[in-house]
Amino acid sequence: MEQLVGVLNYIVFFGISAGIYAVLALGLNLHWGMTGLFNIGVAGFYAVGAYASALVCGLPPSAWDARIVGGFDLPFVVGLLAAVVASGVLALLLGIPTLRLRADYLGIATIGIAETVRLMLKNEAWLTNGVWGLQQIPSPLYEAIHRLTSGYLRAHPDLRPWQQALVSRAYNGFYLLLVIVIVVILYRVLRRLSRSPWGRALRAIREDEVAAAMTGKNVFAFKLQALVVGAMVMGIAGALYAHSARFISPASFEPLYGTFLVWVMLMVGGSGNHKGAILGAVVVWGIWAATDFLTGYLPFTATQVAALRVLAIALLLETAILWRPKGILPESRGKRPSHS
Amino acid sequence: MSLLSVRDVHSGYGDMQILHGVDLDVNAEEVVTIIGPNGAGKSTLMKTIFGLLRLTRGQIEFEGREISGLSADRIVRLGLAYVPQVDNVFPSLTVRENLELGAFVDRHAPRRRVDRVYELFPALRPRQTKRVGTMSGGERQMVAMGRALMLDPKLLMLDEPSAALAPNLAATIFDRISAVNQGGTAVLIVEQNAKESLRRSHRGYVLAAGRKCFEDEGPAILANEDIGRLYLGGA
Amino acid sequence: METLARIPQLLVYGVVSGSILSLGGIGVSLTYSVLGFSNFAHGDIMALGAYLALALLPAASALGISGRPLGALSFGADFVGALLLAVVATCAVVLTLDRILFRRLRNAGRITLMIASVGVALGLRSLIQFCWGPQPQYYSAKIQRAQVIPGLGVKIKPDQIFIVATAIGLTLLLHLFLRHTRIGKAMRATADNAALARVTGINAERVIVWTWILGASLAAVAGILIGIENKFIMPELGWQLLLPIFAAVILGGLGNAYGAMVGGVVIGVCEEVSTAFLSTAYKPAVAFVILILMLLVRPTGILGRRG
Ligand SMILES: Nc1ncnc2c1ncn2[C@@H]1O[C@H](COP(=O)(O)OP(=O)(O)O)[C@@H](O)[C@H]1O
Ligand SMILES: [Mg+2]
Repeated sequence: MEQLVGVLNYIVFFGISAGIYAVLALGLNLHWGMTGLFNIGVAGFYAVGAYASALVCGLPPSAWDARIVGGFDLPFVVGLLAAVVASGVLALLLGIPTLRLRADYLGIATIGIAETVRLMLKNEAWLTNGVWGLQQIPSPLYEAIHRLTSGYLRAHPDLRPWQQALVSRAYNGFYLLLVIVIVVILYRVLRRLSRSPWGRALRAIREDEVAAAMTGKNVFAFKLQALVVGAMVMGIAGALYAHSARFISPASFEPLYGTFLVWVMLMVGGSGNHKGAILGAVVVWGIWAATDFLTGYLPFTATQVAALRVLAIALLLETAILWRPKGILPESRGKRPSHS
Repeated sequence: MSLLSVRDVHSGYGDMQILHGVDLDVNAEEVVTIIGPNGAGKSTLMKTIFGLLRLTRGQIEFEGREISGLSADRIVRLGLAYVPQVDNVFPSLTVRENLELGAFVDRHAPRRRVDRVYELFPALRPRQTKRVGTMSGGERQMVAMGRALMLDPKLLMLDEPSAALAPNLAATIFDRISAVNQGGTAVLIVEQNAKESLRRSHRGYVLAAGRKCFEDEGPAILANEDIGRLYLGGA
Repeated sequence: METLARIPQLLVYGVVSGSILSLGGIGVSLTYSVLGFSNFAHGDIMALGAYLALALLPAASALGISGRPLGALSFGADFVGALLLAVVATCAVVLTLDRILFRRLRNAGRITLMIASVGVALGLRSLIQFCWGPQPQYYSAKIQRAQVIPGLGVKIKPDQIFIVATAIGLTLLLHLFLRHTRIGKAMRATADNAALARVTGINAERVIVWTWILGASLAAVAGILIGIENKFIMPELGWQLLLPIFAAVILGGLGNAYGAMVGGVVIGVCEEVSTAFLSTAYKPAVAFVILILMLLVRPTGILGRRG
């Protein structure tokens, strides 16, 4: 029974991570899948969202012995809003100089913004606490739920150990639920958007920018809107990450975790398809987590195994590009503009 | 036996079929003009002959040898040369480099060939170190034809060589085409407004909607009232 | 005042690192103009070259090449031998990648190729990490004394002179290759108008092979020169190089190899000179800022043509 609780606990953790990645993949799907924006700096928007929410909701720095400007102890919803605004503004600033140009420029500029964000997180210690990161980030409703569960445990002293373990970890279950609710909401909103004239315009731009411009669409404005909204979604993912990990540092937003995994997820799942993005996040995060078990079985050092895991992810990406370029769940034909 | 023989050729772009069975012959030392409305598939036919588009049916023979399915560099070696309708020069290369590249497949091609092109187009000689991208439309057309002539082809294929040129320049180009033909090279020309071209041609074809719909001697086509009305902008 | 006094010296450093960036940028530019996509794996190809040179140093010694330092340089002839071996090995890796990956995607479109190259970057980096570990690998532990250039009041190390000379020499060689050899002209023709190059009878696949060979060779040398200049290399090297190199390429006009050369030196100099005014921690961001300014003011690059 204890083992079962352990497994359940793992599944909950897995679900939270996969759910956060699903949010990132949905954001990238709006960028790349729907509009064809080549964003390889997802980590930048993700990180900015995480830090924004952590700074707004965090405890005053004196509480954890740091000297930063921030930590206003505001509710989670405000943090979420701050994350959305911060990531959106960053996207706006990046989009203006790059979106009139071809995809290559946006690609390199997004790498640039992600790296610059990482440098700032490392070096602007007055705001970010540098490499030590932001600590003791409060989780939403943690106190309330903790009070409930510990009250329940006190009232029922005769519970078996596995039952106790289950109850005391109820908060993680709640957080998973929160993540799932947000994924579902975002999925519905994005699906709606993609079926709207706005979404059709984005796809028309993706298929043929020149033709879209000739039908009178303001291509630049549409691309900018898509970039900003997608970045906002990524900001939400950042906030969710910050409040579940409760500790963030520049190392949490390395390109591997913040950008590449998300790309592989979208490509494997099926870019252009919101369900595909979510499925890809779960599948690829599953593969990534599963390769972790190999550590003990391979005759290599831990760092070598870590490198092999990344290699496997890279190979997965190439495999998808070569043999399944539309992903597991391809975008449905009906959604593609007819002239393509 | 004809130099080039095109039989029942079907081809197009991806799923879209453009040519629905075209027949055409070019004999040695002959000038043949294909005319037809915009979008008829004339350029598509040229690209298909040159191996740039895949045949879905039919066959193409050059000197009695099947050439459909050969890559462009093999076709060049057999003695065909092709000047596309647009983008037919290397703009950031010099005139001389453009010409030299024309002989790319034959590393032993005599250097004199460049001089022969300059004799044909004297305007190019003083500009040989200029980048072609900086030159006028007429000069570009000369470079494009010069490039194609570098291998001394048996058949020269020209896609609308006079399209974007002023009338006097167009006349010069046609003079040169005749000169090339006098030297024994067969010429296959596509033209939309083709009076001048037909006048100088031994034979002509009318292509419409991806099918050959008429064939006759050049001057006879010119004299044909229906065709004049339909394709040559009035009689 | 003291800041201003440092600038001439920083200019020297900037030219040194800029000449390395130029070599990298030329490779990106060549692949871009012939194969038609931005190769995001180029930085990691450079890093691979740098690692392979270290790995092949014993092989060069085994061939009986002397390890005695060449003149005032910090390395011997064996290292030059290792450099050449590394160039060959890097080309072999890159050509294999073309064979198994990029060639299958020739008709897949530019952006698919870019994504594939991002995957290659990730794969190469993890291979490097697998073989050599995450900790730095040292090129030479020897401290080299910088020598004062008489009259200018700036210092430069013999190794740095070697770096700049190598970069200039290779650039000249490449120039001669592109201008005067058959395949060089075919490369320029393909870059200019790939469809017409086919019609002219130029074998596109051969041109592509040569493009990879030139790009990978320059990349390997550039990576090795970074090892010489920094004294050590790390697996992240390739990723860190990507931004300054692309900034150099875009600054010079995407697809313009000569522009990339100029762009590299400009970026190198700006990065170094910035340290007089900004924290060195932000050196990597300088390239990004220049890139954005460039995109705002003149997106076709300094030497780029319109359209
Ligand atoms: N690259 C292409 N891809 C798809 N369709 C094309 C392409 N080029 C031409 N077409 C189509 O093929 C048809 C014939 O074109 P073309 O051969 O260029 O005509 P012509 O040269 O007789 O004016 C036209 O309907 C045109 O739209
Ligand atoms: Mg045409």
